[in-house]
Amino acid sequence: MAKKVKRKPAARNGKAALTSQDKRTLSQLRRLADDVVSAATRSRDPFIDIPTRALSNVRYSPRKRIIEMGSNTNRRQLFNLSQAKSYMQTMLVASGCKRLIEEGKTTSIRGLFYLLKHTIEGTKEETFSEQSECDPVIEDSEVLLNALREELHLYAQTKGTIVGNIVINDTGNEINCAAMGRGGYGIPSIVEPDVLTLDRKKCKAKFVLHVEKDTVWQRFNEDRFWDEHNCILTHGGGQPPRGVRRLLNRLHTELGLPVYCLLDNDPWGYYIYSVIKQGSINLAYESQRMAIPAARFLGLRSIDLERCGLTNSVKINLNENDRKRAKQIASYPWFEKKKAWQREIKKMLDNGFKLEVESLISKDISYVTETYVPERLAKRDWLD
Amino acid sequence: MASSNTKSPRRKVKKKVPKSVRKKKKRAARSAPVESPATTNGSAEAVAMRKPRRRATAQSMAAAQRDISVSEFFAKNRHLLGFDNPRKALLTTVKEAVDNSLDACEEAGILPEIWVHIEQTRLGRYKVGVQDNGPGILKKQIPLIFGKLLYGSKFHRLRMSRGQQGIGISAAGMYGMLTTGKPVKIVSKVSIRKPAHYYELQIDTKKNKPEILNGRGDGVDIPPGDKGLRYIQKHGIEWITHYDAVEGAKLADLRSGTRVTIELEARYQRGRGSVDEFLQQAAIANPHVTLHYEDPDGNQHIYQRTTKTLPPEPREIKPHPYGVELGLLITMLKDITEGTLSQFLTSSFSRVSPAVARRICEGAKLSTRASVKKIGRGEADALYQSIQSAKISAPSLDCVVPVGEDLLLKALKEVLPGEFYTAATRPPTVYRGNPFQIEVGLAYGGASSAQKVTREALEELLSQSDARTLRQFLIATFQGVGPDAADKIIKGAELGTRQSPARLKPKEREQFHHAMQNVNLDDGQTMQVLRYANRVPLQFQHSACAITQAVVNTNWRSYGLSQSRGGMPSGPVSVIVHMASVWVPFTSESKEAVASYPEIQKELRLGLQSVGRKLGMYLRRRLKVHQQGVRRNVFLRYLGEVASAVSEINQASRDELYGRLLRVAKKRTAEADVKLDSRGRPVDDEETDFGQNVIIVDPAENLARTLANNGVA
Repeated sequence: MAKKVKRKPAARNGKAALTSQDKRTLSQLRRLADDVVSAATRSRDPFIDIPTRALSNVRYSPRKRIIEMGSNTNRRQLFNLSQAKSYMQTMLVASGCKRLIEEGKTTSIRGLFYLLKHTIEGTKEETFSEQSECDPVIEDSEVLLNALREELHLYAQTKGTIVGNIVINDTGNEINCAAMGRGGYGIPSIVEPDVLTLDRKKCKAKFVLHVEKDTVWQRFNEDRFWDEHNCILTHGGGQPPRGVRRLLNRLHTELGLPVYCLLDNDPWGYYIYSVIKQGSINLAYESQRMAIPAARFLGLRSIDLERCGLTNSVKINLNENDRKRAKQIASYPWFEKKKAWQREIKKMLDNGFKLEVESLISKDISYVTETYVPERLAKRDWLD
Repeated sequence: MASSNTKSPRRKVKKKVPKSVRKKKKRAARSAPVESPATTNGSAEAVAMRKPRRRATAQSMAAAQRDISVSEFFAKNRHLLGFDNPRKALLTTVKEAVDNSLDACEEAGILPEIWVHIEQTRLGRYKVGVQDNGPGILKKQIPLIFGKLLYGSKFHRLRMSRGQQGIGISAAGMYGMLTTGKPVKIVSKVSIRKPAHYYELQIDTKKNKPEILNGRGDGVDIPPGDKGLRYIQKHGIEWITHYDAVEGAKLADLRSGTRVTIELEARYQRGRGSVDEFLQQAAIANPHVTLHYEDPDGNQHIYQRTTKTLPPEPREIKPHPYGVELGLLITMLKDITEGTLSQFLTSSFSRVSPAVARRICEGAKLSTRASVKKIGRGEADALYQSIQSAKISAPSLDCVVPVGEDLLLKALKEVLPGEFYTAATRPPTVYRGNPFQIEVGLAYGGASSAQKVTREALEELLSQSDARTLRQFLIATFQGVGPDAADKIIKGAELGTRQSPARLKPKEREQFHHAMQNVNLDDGQTMQVLRYANRVPLQFQHSACAITQAVVNTNWRSYGLSQSRGGMPSGPVSVIVHMASVWVPFTSESKEAVASYPEIQKELRLGLQSVGRKLGMYLRRRLKVHQQGVRRNVFLRYLGEVASAVSEINQASRDELYGRLLRVAKKRTAEADVKLDSRGRPVDDEETDFGQNVIIVDPAENLARTLANNGVA
């Protein structure tokens, strides 16, 4: 934080010196506001066209191997009963971001929610009743303004940890990820080059192993897997937040490290891999910066119950929702043409159960770190 | 029985009883020795042979057979006349007196002004005084009118009037006399220059004859002028001498009028079926009447007239042939001794021209020139059958006088707060040869009577009520409050449903009153039906009445009200139904319910449907306006936020932007403004063309009025 103040010293009148990026964002915001005024002056209904954030408006680029956003938009009108409130909320978010930028401060999306939450004058209604109401509006604003979240001076909740043979520089502080003890270094939400720098010379690691959740990550860290195999170990607490994805992307593109993922053998694990690999549908506009088309799926695999000789008690039966989601994922264009993946998903559906990475612990506490992963890596046995 | 201090007649009975018992004992003692040998012989035959004693002979029975006077009959069957309980007795007394007064005033062409005065004389006893400014009654007629049952001018003619049989007021006097022993006091004045007559009367129930008690059986004359005033004061006679002072005018003397004062055993209770309610409802149907009412607590209520024109005088008509039964036809034939059959028919009935008479005679195979005297029973029957099949035009219909849509609307608006009023008068038609006409008025919206009640009035109602639970109390006391509404109120007050109204603590009463004022009863209210027959409110026997049945049988759901099957529709609605006829078919002498002839049912249905249609139109439009209003509200709610956010971003003037957005919003929801420019007059839109006889009140205006009323109260 101290560093940030140094970077953007606050002006006397509460306004911070603006970077060129900030100026660009502000002009975008102003254009949005001017549209409302001009519509009102001409007695027209004010509206905004927001690029659609849905499967219908994403396109898989086989050449770039990432998900890209299409050109469809959704019109949001003020004088439409069902859209009036979200129109109002979009404007509020825009005004909130404008304040943040002008004052040179950043806040979490939860912070923005509280900043904008108030009772509408003369009613008992809140502008936002829950954060879940605010988050999609923020994402709308990002695509609408064609600005990234960090450009709006917002960040998501910190989630995800890193350890390994690398030294990174976070706003001037040297972070030695090999000396983080049991806790690891929490990956910040904003890991853009202006705040976090990576140095090829300070990285001894040869690859990155991304695991799904904290429990498994703790196992690997305690067994000092990263030390033994000379790698970087990360987790994203389930679906990895942008900071984690962006950092993985930078480790991959800037330092040339291959990324391997160890995720659960269930539709959600598959989708995490999919998001890391070609970007998410929701944030398709950010795929360019986030996706790692060369990321590999190390496990768990549908065949692991037999292959590793696990007991039946670790099986978790698939429910209707899981099957539906699995079929959905199988039909995504970026999975559709991969025979290995189609086989994998089919096998899971045939099995009728899913497996979590933790299930390997039933075999031996350190089975996953001492046998499973080294074996896969050695045999180059993964899905791509 | 024996211990109670019975009056003299009962004592006589007591003496008699032992005598007869003694006689029987003697007879038994005498016969015993004669019969005993037979029984001792053991002869069963003797027992069988013994003749059963004859109970009575034709002769002995004949001795007991005698005339029953009408007054005796009704003294025993007072419930037939509406004197079943003390509470109803009070109402019936007031009602009969007021009816008579109004009839008299209208017949004489005087704008009626009526004073009703109720005073408690002791526990369970009230003195009712009703005075009018009518034509007065001739001295010799007074005792007969007030002291003889079935004496009157209205029974033998077919003319629209409130009273019919000539029972009412004399029965009230008789009831008073029977319950308190006090005579009926009558003051009547025919002219300003002539003396007023003062009578104290009693009815000799045995003979159905009046007995004059004062002035040695001849009544007292009160001289006109100041001398009379002094006399009145000296003897404590109740008589109002002047009209109410009008500002800037000289005190006007009462030129003529009649006052009847009856003391009776009664119970005064406010709420449903009370005197207060009767007078209020009477004021609605009689907008040309000014009513002064002083209740037992000394509160003055004045219902001012809203029009100065008297209703047109109803014409008296001859009976219509269709309405005459065979027996009556025979009697009529007997009464007439001269002339031909044709003459009889044309002169005794309405709508019978010589041509019609000829056709009737032809149908009966009788000569038009046959002498009436010679018409026998068989011929009369043929004549009767022929009348039924003959084509006779309907009776002239100008003999029934409706209140009129305009006046009905005006009166409705005066008495019932609401936002929508409509009225419909059906064209007159005929049942059983009697012309009648149905009028229906409807008021929608406004607070229920439960909402208007003041704290003091509520306290009193609570203390008077004999309802066992609060729920019962609410339903029984307030018009239009149904079980749902009652539950809502009780819930709102956080009281128990089964709590006793009399045992509420002051704090609970406060809560209760607060809930009554503030709970929204719109949905829980049931339709309030005000029934009238010849301008007289009908307050009892709802379910037996053709009017109530017609309301229930109408499908109100299609007019935007909710209604459960076979029940009253719910909502803040009041319906007034008036039946005007030369002869209203009541189900009993107490005139509480209209009998349901098919023709009457049909007219009622059509009348209700026509006001229902207009209500439906209004409600649909209101819903539309409401929906648009909701839409606009949604927009308006967010406009301010949008304007602030935008001005935050680009420093545009917030207020200017807000104003502009507001204009766009109004344009988009123009429907919501419809209400503002259609107060009472038809709008271009076909859907919302209410036609005539509709009043729409702006709710805001209404609120102001209610507030003003509350302030006065």
